[in-house]
Amino acid sequence: MITAGLIHWILNTLNITVHIRDVCVFLAPTFSGLTSISTFLLTRELWNQGAGLLAACFIAIVPGYISRSVAGSFDNEGIAIFALQFTYYLWVKSVKTGSVFWTMCCCLSYFYMVSAWGGYVFIINLIPLHVFVLLLMQRYSKRVYIAYSTFYIVGLILSMQIPFVGFQPIRTSEHMAAAGVFALLQAYAFLQYLRDRLTKQEFQTLFFLGVSLAAGAVFLSVIYLTYTGYIAPWSGRFYSLWDTGYAKIHIPIIASVSEHQPTTWVSFFFDLHILVCTFPAGLWFCIKNINDERVFVALYAISAVYFAGVMVRLMLTLTPVVCMLSAIAFSNVFEHYLGDDMKRENPPVEDSSDEDDKRNPGNLYDKAGKVRKHVTEQEKTEEGLGPNIKSIVTMLMLMLLMMFAVHCTWVTSNAYSSPSVVLASYNHDGTRNILDDFREAYFWLRQNTDEHARVMSWWDYGYQIAGMANRTTLVDNNTWNNSHIALVGKAMSSNETAAYKIMRSLDVDYVLVIFGGVIGYSGDDINKFLWMVRIAEGEHPKDIRESDYFTPQGEFRVDKAGSPTLLNCLMYKMSYYRFGEMQLDFRTPPGFDRTRNAEIGNKDIKFKHLEEAFTSEHWLVRIYKVKAPDNRETLDHKPRVTNIFPKQKYLSKKTAKRKRGYIKNKLVFKKGKKMSKKTV
Amino acid sequence: MGARGAPSRRRQAGRRPRYLPTGSFPFLLLLLLLCIQLGGGQKKKENLLAEKVEQLMEWSSRRSIFRMNGDKFRKFIKTPPRNYSMIVMFTALQPQRQCSVCRQANEEYQILANSWRYSSAFCNKLFFSMVDYDEGTDVFQQLNMNSAPTFMHFPPKGRPKRADTFDLQRIGFAAEQLAKWIADRTDVHIRVFRPPNYSGTIALALLVSLVGGLLYLRRNNLEFIYNKTGWAMVSLCIVFAMTSGQMWNHIRGPPYAHKNPHNGQVSYIHGSSQAQFVAESHIILLLNAAITMGMVLLNEAATSKGDVGKRRIICLVGLGLVVFFFSFLLSIFRSKYHGYPYSTLLFTIFFYTVHDHFLIK
Repeated sequence: MITAGLIHWILNTLNITVHIRDVCVFLAPTFSGLTSISTFLLTRELWNQGAGLLAACFIAIVPGYISRSVAGSFDNEGIAIFALQFTYYLWVKSVKTGSVFWTMCCCLSYFYMVSAWGGYVFIINLIPLHVFVLLLMQRYSKRVYIAYSTFYIVGLILSMQIPFVGFQPIRTSEHMAAAGVFALLQAYAFLQYLRDRLTKQEFQTLFFLGVSLAAGAVFLSVIYLTYTGYIAPWSGRFYSLWDTGYAKIHIPIIASVSEHQPTTWVSFFFDLHILVCTFPAGLWFCIKNINDERVFVALYAISAVYFAGVMVRLMLTLTPVVCMLSAIAFSNVFEHYLGDDMKRENPPVEDSSDEDDKRNPGNLYDKAGKVRKHVTEQEKTEEGLGPNIKSIVTMLMLMLLMMFAVHCTWVTSNAYSSPSVVLASYNHDGTRNILDDFREAYFWLRQNTDEHARVMSWWDYGYQIAGMANRTTLVDNNTWNNSHIALVGKAMSSNETAAYKIMRSLDVDYVLVIFGGVIGYSGDDINKFLWMVRIAEGEHPKDIRESDYFTPQGEFRVDKAGSPTLLNCLMYKMSYYRFGEMQLDFRTPPGFDRTRNAEIGNKDIKFKHLEEAFTSEHWLVRIYKVKAPDNRETLDHKPRVTNIFPKQKYLSKKTAKRKRGYIKNKLVFKKGKKMSKKTV
Repeated sequence: MGARGAPSRRRQAGRRPRYLPTGSFPFLLLLLLLCIQLGGGQKKKENLLAEKVEQLMEWSSRRSIFRMNGDKFRKFIKTPPRNYSMIVMFTALQPQRQCSVCRQANEEYQILANSWRYSSAFCNKLFFSMVDYDEGTDVFQQLNMNSAPTFMHFPPKGRPKRADTFDLQRIGFAAEQLAKWIADRTDVHIRVFRPPNYSGTIALALLVSLVGGLLYLRRNNLEFIYNKTGWAMVSLCIVFAMTSGQMWNHIRGPPYAHKNPHNGQVSYIHGSSQAQFVAESHIILLLNAAITMGMVLLNEAATSKGDVGKRRIICLVGLGLVVFFFSFLLSIFRSKYHGYPYSTLLFTIFFYTVHDHFLIK
């Protein structure tokens, strides 16, 4: 956001008048362009220029990244991937050169990354891991020492300038690996220094002692500090990456987000297509011809692929490395097969393969210009493969890449470029129907409700309601207070009376639900409902129980066989109110839910405390008004019946003739005998 | 008889309080009579109850779960005078029954029962027992039970209700879930204490010592650590496992393959793009590996210094691997992702031959 503001300001000071909205819309595509440039630079450092070019092409069209960088997606992640790639490029550069200048650039880029996205933790763990592995591989050098020491200190201080991060880098476990590696590196460097002073025998004992002591001390101190509370333990989100079952049990709100689900192979293939099959080959080549920076890309690939496997959302971090490695694989093939036969006559120039490079690391700097050497090296062995085979291989490879391009275009146009607020459906003849229910409903809210009305809905729609309808919401996409979300979930999943109490206490005026049963929209609230129940159960285990919403067979059904708790809860009633009267099709009974393919179980829904305020054209959005409590509360029980009232009215017995009245139950005196005193 | 005893007693017990407040004379008389009758029965029943509890306590001091056959089941669970809750696992543990779930459930149940048996809150209000199908077939028939394992709770009063049968299908049989269910049904809270699983630690220690030993033995020749092929293999394995969705399998636990109950056809590939079978992910893993190998072979053919004919063959094999398996992969993807329009040339031939054999529609 600061970036957008800055760009806007710069453009306007240059007297180019641009609306801030346009800047925001075009921010993501601009940054994706920058990403592909930085990918080119990084791949050039890792392999050669040709691979870099391929990598830049790949990342420019790969769906996994386009999903975040279409025009109008004003999101942190689009910027963050650029910052990530650029930081990595600068890091590789600084490890290669060992110059403080590149490291400082790296730190600045890291600072930018920290300000943009919480995913900076990936960098601050991957870079120390790289250094650590380099130490293990005995590839320690002055360059690494300079690069990492500078990066750690400056990067730490810079990242602490961000208000959101604050003192986290020295207080949380996520950052402790970096600190530990820093300490280890210092100890290692010190020992290296001692080696020059001491004899070999002395040194060896000292070396093992020193390294193990340093590692042990760091490890123990981290554990000690964690126990004493100086360092916060892993936050739930990161913990769920390691222990994959953790989130589902302990923090349902994290597990409920569809982006946090594990990844099937289909989504890998969908997002990366041929790259997912070829990038292991690139990894193979990298490890076979290893040097300092290829260690880095191998670690990057393995860690990113693990994270992407755990969470769909983290496919985003995997995409750049997949592009780079696939580019390496493809460019390797093309180098060998696209080469001209004429070149064979050239005398082979000095044979400097990558194995040589890593032995004399000072030579690494001008790796970029090495393309031709590779090719010429091949030429002398390429006696007989012949132009035919070569051209066949080239043709087929190009066809594969063409298919990749076609796939990317298709995926982008179908899955990622349609706005999520406006839905489109296609008829059999290819014409398009636009379902504009969301905007219709939000506009209704904006026009017809009180300015200060409070709308209750599930948190997914919070931003949309706030942004498009300009009304207050209870929870939105950035609500961090889990109990608040749970309370809304509880209101949605309890019956109307209980929900009314909650809604009164939350001072709700309108309730908004998304219902896809009419058009078969699967992302509606009934399909999300179990998560509401789970989240509510996490906070209110006494009132809400997930098992109540299942049939005895453990199924979640909305038809007659569904559990009565479900059929009477607020969400169900609001979704299906008067739906039983509606017959969508002649083949189906009235009240047939197209999303769940079932006839609903409760067709006679009546509300007491709510009334329907608005339902959009395709019933996608339904808004209910919460009634104010009645002025005079009706008794919810029958008034007590007593029998003090006479069963029938008293009828007078006077007639026109007999006007005299008489007294009912008149006392009659009986004359008794006077008692004689004698008898007493 | 046992089954008939319970309701009759309930009827008597239910009648008593209703008569008390009205309290007119003839009813009082009747009540008196009833009391006398009950008192006689009560005494006898108390004896019986004490006897039963004593017996149960003795058993449970010996072992945390006692096995029951039909007679014992009727005596301790079905016959009325009870003041204890009884959790019963109906199972089939005999090896010839081949019930692997029963064995796992039994282990969890043992953990739970032991946690209760050795906890400080242990008392004579809750007992754990089990009925094996081969020892108490009549019990299974009597309860109309046709699946094992089943967990049931028999409350101290009355018959078990619907919620007294543990919902195994949905919740699973982890000891913690069982404990939660028991707490729900009986108000007895059991803290599940799992004996620490040493097998993992031992395996790790063994591995570490093995590696350490190996390193020590070969300390003069540590070259093999620097073997790039080995490392490359390891990292490729991780990558393949992840990209084929093994993590998804690990978290979601899908079945290995789906067998159509109607025609017995086994399908290895899930029809929806949202899910996958274990077998399917293995197929994908192999396909991915084959494509990668093809790429590596292509490179190998161009760089190695061998016989030209051989290299040509390697090159063609590599190319074949890449193209063939990629089109195969694409065909599987297309069958799963409905509406995907593209295919390779090879695909069209493939789709029709493969589709009938492998894929479900």
